[in-house]
Amino acid sequence: MSLVEVSNVTKEYANGEETIRPLDGVSLTIEQGDYVSLMGASGSGKSTLLNLIAGIDRATSGEIVVADTDITKLSRGKLADWRAAHIGYIFQTHNLIPVLTAYENVELPLLLLPMSAAERRKRVEIALEAVDLTSRATHYPRQMSGGQEQRVGIARAIVANPTVVVADEPTGSLDDETTEQILQLLERVNNELGMTLLMVTHDADAGSRAKRRIRLERSRLIENGKELQTATLRTA
Amino acid sequence: MHKFIPYVFKSLWRHRARTLLTVSGTAVALLVFCFIGAVQQGLLALTSGDDAGRTLIVFQENRFCPQSSRLPQDYAGDIKKLSGVADVVPIKVFTNNCRASLDAIVFQGMEPEKLRAWRDLDLRSGDWASFSTQDDAALVGADVASRRGLSVGDKFTIGDVSVVVRGVFQSATAAQNNLIFTQLEFLQRARGASDVGTVTQLEVHLNDTADPETIAKQIDQAFRAGPVGTTTRTKGMFQADTLADLAELIGFVHWLGYACVGLVLSLVATTTVMAVQDRIKEHAVLQTVGLRPLRVFGLVLTESLLLSTLGGVLGVVGSMLLLSLTGMSIAAEGVTIAFEPSLALAIQGVSVAVVVGVLAGVAPGWQASRTEIVSALRHA
Ligand SMILES: Nc1ncnc2c1ncn2[C@@H]1O[C@H](COP(=O)(O)OP(=O)(O)OP(=O)(O)O)[C@@H](O)[C@H]1O
Ligand SMILES: [Mg+2]
Repeated sequence: MSLVEVSNVTKEYANGEETIRPLDGVSLTIEQGDYVSLMGASGSGKSTLLNLIAGIDRATSGEIVVADTDITKLSRGKLADWRAAHIGYIFQTHNLIPVLTAYENVELPLLLLPMSAAERRKRVEIALEAVDLTSRATHYPRQMSGGQEQRVGIARAIVANPTVVVADEPTGSLDDETTEQILQLLERVNNELGMTLLMVTHDADAGSRAKRRIRLERSRLIENGKELQTATLRTA
Repeated sequence: MHKFIPYVFKSLWRHRARTLLTVSGTAVALLVFCFIGAVQQGLLALTSGDDAGRTLIVFQENRFCPQSSRLPQDYAGDIKKLSGVADVVPIKVFTNNCRASLDAIVFQGMEPEKLRAWRDLDLRSGDWASFSTQDDAALVGADVASRRGLSVGDKFTIGDVSVVVRGVFQSATAAQNNLIFTQLEFLQRARGASDVGTVTQLEVHLNDTADPETIAKQIDQAFRAGPVGTTTRTKGMFQADTLADLAELIGFVHWLGYACVGLVLSLVATTTVMAVQDRIKEHAVLQTVGLRPLRVFGLVLTESLLLSTLGGVLGVVGSMLLLSLTGMSIAAEGVTIAFEPSLALAIQGVSVAVVVGVLAGVAPGWQASRTEIVSALRHA
C-alpha cells in the first residue's frame, strides 16, 4: 500500500449549460517520504487535485486513500478530524489568523489533538525553531514580513507531524530571495524531518527541485512523459 | 472547546469599537428592561399579597384624591363593633401632588401605637419615643430621606405642613419607604381647624375567618344613611382603582420591555453576522486545519453569547445599582409604586441576555459552519 493512492478521480463543475472537468479519471500514488511537485497551466486543475488529497474538497467520482483511509467516504465532521491528524496545509498566502501571535498560530492544529500543554509547548518550540522564528514567537502576523509569515505558515503545517504536507504555490507571492529560503526550508522538511510533500507550483525552477515532477495536462497526470495509471495497473 | 476561548476574546477585542458599541447598546436596552420590570413588580406588590386581599380601606364615596375624602373619625368606633373586625386604623393622608409624579411627597398621619402595631418599620436612626412625644415629629421612609437628603433633626416643610424628622425607617414593603408618617392629630390640625375630627381613610383589619367582601358591604350599608357615604374595598383593589390610569400606562410600557429584547436580538445578530462575513476566509482556514464545522458553529455562538451576556450583565448591574441607590418611585393620588429591584428581576434580565445571545448566534453560526472551504479560501 502506498501512502497516498488516488484512483480514477474525476472532478466536475457544472457551469450553467457546460460541464468543466479539470480532472478526468486521474490516478496518482505517493510514497512515504516522497517530494512531489505538480505543475501545469493555470486553470488546469492543480489546486483542485491538491484540495481533494487534503480533504477540503470532494471528488465527483473515484477513490482517494491516504494512510489506509478512504477519505471520499468520510462525513464532514470525520473528515475534519482526519485533516487535523493527517494533513499540513501550506497556503499561497500564509493565511495566518490575524488575532493570534506566531506562537498561537503554530499551536492551533495541536489544540485539536489529544495532547498535554507541556507537549504542545515543546512541539511549537521545535516547529518555530525549524523555521528559525523562535525570536518572533510573540509577534502578530501584521508585524512580520511576507517571508516570515510564510515560514510561520510552514511551521503550522508541520507542527502536528502530519502524514502529508501539501503546499499550493507556497512561493507564488514571494521575491526570488525569499522563494529560495522557502524552497530550502521545504527540502529540509522532506529530508531532515522525513515528511511527505506535495507541492503545486507555477515556477519551473521550484518544480524541478522536487524528487518527483508531475504535470497536469488536459485533465491527465503526466510523469516522465507517461500518463500515470491506477495503482493496480501500474504494478501489473 | 475551551482552548479556543482566548481566540474568541481576541477576535472580539480586535474589533473593539464594534464590540463596545454592541455591548453598550445591549446594556442600555437591558437597563430599560429592568426599569420596566421593576415598575411592574412594584405595581404587582401593591395589588397582590396577604395584606392587599385581607385589609379593607374605607374611603369617602366617589372621591379620589386623598384631600377630597373626609370621613368622620368616629366611624372607626362603629366599624370596630362589626363582628370579624380586629382593628380599625384611622389615617389622614396629605400629598403635595395628586397627579402622577415621580417626586410626590405623601404624608400619612396615624396614632403612634397603631402605626407601631400595623406597620413593620425598622428604624435606621432616631427613636419611637421622640416620635410619640413630639407633636410635629415625623418618621421618614428611607427612599424619601435619600431623595430629599433628610436626616434626624431636620425640619421639613411641604405646603402648610412643617415637620421635624425624628426617625428614618426602612420597611420590607418597598412602597412604604416612600412615605412620611406623622401623628394623626398633627396632620388633622396642620391644614386648618376644619379637618379636625375627620380622616382620609379607615384601614380595617379583619380576623382570620372573616370574609372581606361581606364586611365591606356591611360597612357601606351602615353609612349609606349617614352624613358621609363610604366606598369600602380591599387594600389591593383600592390601590388598583386609585392607580388605574398609571396601571394602564405601565401595562403598555410592558411592551417596550419586549421591544428592548428585540432590539438586543437584532443588535447582537447584526454584529455577529458582520463578524462572520469578515472572517469567511479565517473560518475556512480553521476548518482546513481540522476544526469541525460544529466547532466553528460553536465559536460563532460563543462570540454572540459573550457580547450579549456582557452587555446584559452590565445593564442589569447598572439598573440594580441605580434602582437601589435612588429609591425611585411614582405616586398618584397618595398611593406610591416603588421601583422594586430584586434578585429575581436581575436573574430574569441576565437570562434574557443569555437566551438572546444564543438566538442571535444561531443563523450566522450555521452559515459559518456550512461554508464550502475551497470557495471560502478563494474569497479575497
Ligand atoms: N467552484 C468552481 N466552480 C466552477 N469552476 C471551478 C470552480 N473551482 C474551480 N473551477 C475551475 O476548475 C478549473 C481548475 O481550477 P484550479 O483552481 O484547480 O486550477 P489551477 O491549476 O490551480 O490554476 P492556477 O494555476 O491558476 O491556480 C479552472 O478552470 C477553474 O475555473
Ligand atoms: Mg491553483
